[in-house]
Amino acid sequence: MEEALVLPDYLDLSPELRKRFESIAARETILEVSHLRKEFPGMENRPPILGDISFEVKRREFICVIGASGCGKSTMLRMLGGLEPCTAGEVRVSGKSVHGPGADRGMVFQEYTLFPWLTVKKNVMFGPRMAGQGRDSSEAEALQWLEMVGLADRVDAYPNQLSGGMKQRVAIARALANYPDILLMDEPFGALDAQTRSQMQRHLLQIWRNVDVTILFVTHDLDEAIFLADRIVVLGAHPGRILEIIQVPVDRPRSQAQALSPHFLAVKKRLEQLIHPEDPDAVKSLPMIRMARVGTEAEP
Amino acid sequence: MIVKHLSPVTGLPHADPSNSAVTHAASKSMSTTTQKTPRRGNGGWLQVRKPLSRKKSLWLAQGAFLLPLLLWCAISYVPFLWHPMITVQNPGSVDYFQPGMQVDRAEFKEQNQKQIDHGGLPATGTRENPVYLPAPHRVAKALVTAFLTPPIRDGEPWLHESLGHSIRIIFLGFLFSAVLGIPLGLLCGTFALVSKLGEPFVDFVRYMPAPAFGALSVAILGIDDAPKVAIIFVGTFFQMVLVLANTTRSLPIPLLEAAQTLGAGRRQLLMNVVVPGVLPMLYRDMRILLGWAWTYLIVAELIGASSGISFFIYQQAKYRNYDNVYAAIILIGLIGLGTDLILKGLGRVFFPWEKDKG
Repeated sequence: MEEALVLPDYLDLSPELRKRFESIAARETILEVSHLRKEFPGMENRPPILGDISFEVKRREFICVIGASGCGKSTMLRMLGGLEPCTAGEVRVSGKSVHGPGADRGMVFQEYTLFPWLTVKKNVMFGPRMAGQGRDSSEAEALQWLEMVGLADRVDAYPNQLSGGMKQRVAIARALANYPDILLMDEPFGALDAQTRSQMQRHLLQIWRNVDVTILFVTHDLDEAIFLADRIVVLGAHPGRILEIIQVPVDRPRSQAQALSPHFLAVKKRLEQLIHPEDPDAVKSLPMIRMARVGTEAEP
Repeated sequence: MIVKHLSPVTGLPHADPSNSAVTHAASKSMSTTTQKTPRRGNGGWLQVRKPLSRKKSLWLAQGAFLLPLLLWCAISYVPFLWHPMITVQNPGSVDYFQPGMQVDRAEFKEQNQKQIDHGGLPATGTRENPVYLPAPHRVAKALVTAFLTPPIRDGEPWLHESLGHSIRIIFLGFLFSAVLGIPLGLLCGTFALVSKLGEPFVDFVRYMPAPAFGALSVAILGIDDAPKVAIIFVGTFFQMVLVLANTTRSLPIPLLEAAQTLGAGRRQLLMNVVVPGVLPMLYRDMRILLGWAWTYLIVAELIGASSGISFFIYQQAKYRNYDNVYAAIILIGLIGLGTDLILKGLGRVFFPWEKDKG
């Protein structure tokens, strides 16, 4: 538990950042994952999808989870969301053990999950309405969140009239309207084009600064993870396990320009090492790709 | 070395015929430079999976009705195209010919040949189509006169009464099936328990043709309208449950998961996600099923005390008033098409978010 918060020794933190991380560490724990394990039935003799995962997330922390494909990062997020049962281990949110999905853990998915039959406003009202709030108060709530994500002028549009980026902004507003303890995001910008994607990243940081919410963000994009996170949880595959938890030594508020700072690049290099370890044997064993006909005939 | 084969300077394929990969690549790149200019307008009439313009679609929709009508007109009004019968005008010396009688052309020719051989008087007549294919203008006239002609016997219904009766049977049968079938279909598609418990039996009954229950339903429900409504019910209900269950299952799971993470419980998932989520597709299914109800109507109306439009058709055929028969069949088609168009239009009002999907 404690070693997860030890600073990696290959990076130096600025004094402000050190202070920030100390203050974060002193906050209450929102999410507590202990010895989480996942096996799919009928595959017991293979390595489990997730081996033995334990970590903690503090209040208002921004955590990114990164890993090569197949390391079980999405499965882990779904388990935290209660959409997938755990084989062993426990997930606690604000001290309460998680059994099944609930409004205290908002989720934003990679695929668009807005309800097509509801207008933007009514999509955001969905959570408060489910919780038994009246029509007027949920509407006021929805309008406030839509203003925050910059969609106050599209409240009466249907989801299929929105662009991909707008849809995900509505999805974020919809999740936040429940005042969740933690927001679980599963590659939410994965389907967006590069430009919209970086716009959405900045937008998400802005929202996060203004709202008391903890975010756990799954991605496979290294730059995205470093740009967003306080800490990055790096997962390895077969079995899925935590390789390292990296504190990102980049000052806040973040800007695109920092992507070239030595700290940013150092983290990126470390992530590359962890996720794509250089294995000379593996490279050699790759079959040589050549244009058989052209190549052979070209030989004199 | 590779460069030599793909020389961009000449842009020509290598002469060596064995070098087909390179030849292919080079000729491909050349053909792009000499591309034909695209045709004007939004492309021709035949394009793979491309929608046609609104104007073209309208033309074709009219053609869909005009073409069969033209064919019918041609066969009816151009004598040498078909006209396999001869209506006798003057029977001549043929014993059994009567004026106005229809005879096969071969038979007519044979009889006349006989008369000529034996010095008798040949019959005369005009080529015509058989009685069962009346000309379009006669059917068009029948569409009006069928409504104005009083029933042949006292106490029998007028045509509009028969039609009204048919529509009432369909409405009642379909209503009963919808009231039971929609909730059951939704539950089957939502809960595996209901599906496993209900669907095998429904699937079993579905294979039994609805008319097979005719005698039974008369024995149980009497000879009036009840057994007819029951046939429509049996014919549509079991199909409806299975079709709607499958439609319900096509709702994307992520929508349900998203709703759960927003705090929706089981009941709320059903009422606030499943039901509104599948409603437009369900509505489309019901439109198709309503068409099936008309199919079962024809059987339903002939069991017990015959009634409705099918009885009218049956009776008119007996009297050999085929123009009325066609008129009645066309009426059924028009009513079906009309209701479907109205329901389609209403669907656009009910489900505004489906607008872009057509």
